[in-house]
Amino acid sequence: MNLLLEAQHLGVSRRHKSILRDVSIGFGATGSVAVIGPNGAGKSTLLALLAGLETPAQGEVRLGARRVVDVPAAERAQAIGFMPQHFEPHWDLVLEELLGMRLTPPRGKAPAQWPTVDEVIARNQLQAFRGRRWSTLSGGEQARVLLATVLATDPPILLADEPGAALDVRHRLTLVEALAQRGRTRLVIVAMHDLDLAFRHFERIVVVADGRIAIDGGEELIHAALLDESFGVVFDRIGVPPGVMLRARLRRQAGP
Amino acid sequence: MTPPAPRHPARAWLIAAAVLGVALLLAACAGHEWSSPQALYRALAGDDSLCSRLLLQWRLPRVFAAALVGALLGLSGAVFQGVFRNPLAEPYLLGASGGAALGATVALLVPLGVPQSYSLPVLAFAGAWGATALVLGVSRVAGALDAAGMLLAGVAIAAMLGALRSFLMLALSDETVSLQVVMSWVLGGIQTPSWPGLGLLAALCVACLLATSRIAHGLDLLGLGTRAAQGFGLDVARFTPVAVIVGSLVVAAAVAYGGLVAFVGLAAPHIARWMVGPLHRALLPASALTGAIVVTVADAIARSALPPAEIPLGLVTAVAGGPFFIVLLARRLRS
Repeated sequence: MNLLLEAQHLGVSRRHKSILRDVSIGFGATGSVAVIGPNGAGKSTLLALLAGLETPAQGEVRLGARRVVDVPAAERAQAIGFMPQHFEPHWDLVLEELLGMRLTPPRGKAPAQWPTVDEVIARNQLQAFRGRRWSTLSGGEQARVLLATVLATDPPILLADEPGAALDVRHRLTLVEALAQRGRTRLVIVAMHDLDLAFRHFERIVVVADGRIAIDGGEELIHAALLDESFGVVFDRIGVPPGVMLRARLRRQAGP
Repeated sequence: MTPPAPRHPARAWLIAAAVLGVALLLAACAGHEWSSPQALYRALAGDDSLCSRLLLQWRLPRVFAAALVGALLGLSGAVFQGVFRNPLAEPYLLGASGGAALGATVALLVPLGVPQSYSLPVLAFAGAWGATALVLGVSRVAGALDAAGMLLAGVAIAAMLGALRSFLMLALSDETVSLQVVMSWVLGGIQTPSWPGLGLLAALCVACLLATSRIAHGLDLLGLGTRAAQGFGLDVARFTPVAVIVGSLVVAAAVAYGGLVAFVGLAAPHIARWMVGPLHRALLPASALTGAIVVTVADAIARSALPPAEIPLGLVTAVAGGPFFIVLLARRLRS
């Protein structure tokens, strides 16, 4: 298989604490990938490295034939859409201004195939938000607007860092379905906390624990004992046909 | 912060331009002796009386110089708020003006063996850039990239630079450079330029507007937060130092011509953002326009409030701008 995005032996440490150790993983041109793992396991760091936003201490990330950190920022932004974990514009922008920023490259002219602001608004049915300021949008609306903005240039790769963390059930489900749907034709990698959503909607599950990739595979991994170990809990697997749901229990401490 | 009403940039520009026109006219009439608009018209029409010559040689260049210095101050404030992503950032508060003033004081008082017309702008720029880089570095090392932490670092550095400047002034001033000249300039005072000198200042303003327009889009992206800016294709690590250099150039120009003038750089971008929105392509020139209006009025007050003496411009802007800053700070702390 031809790999579009590939990490080789990534290592990162911060303040003498190792965040990622010898992580190697590859992604093809299409597919929906959920990256799950406990807090502090290195999910965000892995995503930032894959997006070329950070330079690894060891190893490298390759985007096609090149190292991703060698690709100029403007060109990288066309290849990789990145949805940060926190997106809080410092100025109270309206939707059109935000879209305009995405659709204006820092240097030179926008490629001819890029849509106009109006086209993006029409395609995503965002007409109602057109003149609204960012601070007046609800969390769900913000997530929708941000996704539409990041995807406005139709990047071949989308990396999203816990995009639905602050959303209610319906908005999170809408967002996750949109992301998984995109994985049929493009590469979508999403770091997330909701295991059931991950297993139900994503083709590939990558479990990061303690700076390493503990598990990497399909939905059958829901039965893997390593899953319990990675999260430090005991999962009850509850049959909800056609699938299985997870319910976590804290491990009993042995002895007093 | 900003009102929810839709923005009408075209109307806002027209209104601001009209206000500037009125402010310039009023400022040209104001002084220790009030002149009528008719007297102004006579002077411009080539009348040769003493009154007309005074107006033409002294008052008008001063009025235009005030407007241009105000434009530089407003512009520098907009660049600083953009780079630091902090609506309370201002070259005066963050020590950049203090750095420029220190550099200029060294050029004025220390015999360097270089003509002052060269050494003053170079040292003013070096001071502004050094102070800004220091504030950025200190707040980064201390991990205080939030608004309050950065302001505190800036205030501390501004205080140190101010003390150093006062020491130089006391230790080095003599009969050739009187303390009073340096003092009046440090407190914020626009010198009356000759018409060619005014042309140079205008050219400098245009150059600053052009230079800042090149970083406008980058400042927009920076406002989305570092990660998002990178994701949108901005090389943040390369852009920030460039933007700091451009901002320091503008500060150095403003300080070289107008001394230490507080709070214009803070207030002008806020008014401009309210007029034309937060995108820097429009915000930068709008801040310059707003700054020009504010300083034109403030300088007219400085010239005419206490005749025959002149109050330093910096005192007028501090008295008017201080409360503005406190209101902004209170709002920010509450939210």
